[in-house]
Amino acid sequence: MNTTPSIDELLESLIFALGDEILPYLTNEKSQATAVMMQSVIQEIRQLLPVFDAYVAQEHNEMTKVLRDVASLVGGIDSEASLRISERGATLGAVVDVPVPENNDVNSAHRALGFALQDTLRDLDELQRKGFTVADDALDIVRSYLYPTFVRYANTVSIEGGMVGRG
Amino acid sequence: MEKAISELLRKTLGNNCDVAIEGLSPIPGGFSRETFSCTALVTQGNTKEVLPLIIRKDPPEEVCILQTSRANEHELIESLRANTSVPVSRSYGYELDPSVFGSAAMVLERADGNGKTSQLFNGGPDADQAEEVMRHLCEVLVELHQADISVVDPRGILQDPREVGIRTSSWDEYMDSTFEYYLSTYDDIVYDPSSIILLDAYLTLRRKRPRPLRLSVVHGDFNPANFLYKNGKVSALIDWENSRIGDPREDLGWMTTMDILSNSHVMDYPKKEGGFISYYNKLTGWNVTKEEVDYFTLFGSANIGVPVQSAIYRRIAGEHRQFMHLYLIQSSAPAIPSMAQLLGYPGSIPNETTGVSS
Repeated sequence: MNTTPSIDELLESLIFALGDEILPYLTNEKSQATAVMMQSVIQEIRQLLPVFDAYVAQEHNEMTKVLRDVASLVGGIDSEASLRISERGATLGAVVDVPVPENNDVNSAHRALGFALQDTLRDLDELQRKGFTVADDALDIVRSYLYPTFVRYANTVSIEGGMVGRG
Repeated sequence: MEKAISELLRKTLGNNCDVAIEGLSPIPGGFSRETFSCTALVTQGNTKEVLPLIIRKDPPEEVCILQTSRANEHELIESLRANTSVPVSRSYGYELDPSVFGSAAMVLERADGNGKTSQLFNGGPDADQAEEVMRHLCEVLVELHQADISVVDPRGILQDPREVGIRTSSWDEYMDSTFEYYLSTYDDIVYDPSSIILLDAYLTLRRKRPRPLRLSVVHGDFNPANFLYKNGKVSALIDWENSRIGDPREDLGWMTTMDILSNSHVMDYPKKEGGFISYYNKLTGWNVTKEEVDYFTLFGSANIGVPVQSAIYRRIAGEHRQFMHLYLIQSSAPAIPSMAQLLGYPGSIPNETTGVSS
């Protein structure tokens, strides 16, 4: 995967493009307002993305605890409402906690490893040009890793229909 | 800009004419230049003439995909018009002084014909013309490749137009100096290590060269978006800014790449001749093989890859914030697995005939 530009940088570029390359050419006030709303929602997505998975997981685990805690407090009351609360505490409240993703910097480590593979390619080329045929096999090891990652990346980001803006 | 266009036309057509410019508007004209369309009404004595025009203007330097010269492009186009029958639009002139158009610019005849070449393919409205248009396109390319370099480029402006140290005294010199250029610039343009496929291509192509072939004038961006057609013929081959002296197989390879990216099928035609390469070989006698086209598909991608990657790098580095550069990352993604296949990556579609593996 490309880690540069990041998803955040791509989203930021949409905000810039709307402001620099679209809004100045919109003559309809409603269209202008829509473009500004789009900028606002894109900014919302930028703010959501880094925390969304962690917050959802965290809230999931907190809600199960709330259901259990409420049930333990009022579960003893003799009423249909209390019975329903107890049932929720015993079912949904008992759902196992999900892991909360940590905000660690995998991207930087990924980038450093990618550059290490580049340096390895250059060194293998030097060995190949000196006639060490085992370097051909070593190159295949690198390529065997790269190919499925290229295919996955292309399949993930590509949109059908060719290049926009060309004949 | 209307005033600048009028003055440039008067310089070319004669100072005693009156020029009025109408309908000036920007058009999507490829990724490398800012392109405008307009019409000039030229009055000279009792004679009135309507000139449909295209204005190609340099974008700001930091945004530019290809750093090329409008003066060179003008000179080449006029040389092709004078010395070959390759269909090109007349260039009325150029202006390098940025105070006139805002940046260097040139004014060209707007060629007659349909530039939406996607209409020739995939059941498009002009699919019935595809066979004859592609036949003519191949003939046009052959004429370009067989043209005498000393006639088309007497001043040598196409030998090293990017001024990066390319030497064209022989095929080997050309290849050596081109790989020096690719590899020396790689570290300055790599914005993400996923560009490793380009590095692998440069190194592998340098190790595994095909047979030499005579150097030619190559178009340099021969792709499905760079020609217009009308009535079953190519009416103009356009966008000559990346033209240079090179191996003629580069144009074949680049068209192969862009056929994939553009979802077009130029290389499948003319079907009656067994496809583009087959017809090209029939006309030239050069017996270009599939392995050689594969090689130059990678080589051509590498050639365009350097300036494109460089432009994306400048965008990511914050030198400007134009959007198109980031779109190029997405739109070029389908080419990456194809490049890996041509390089013979393990796990890619078996390609027993490829000559470009490790």
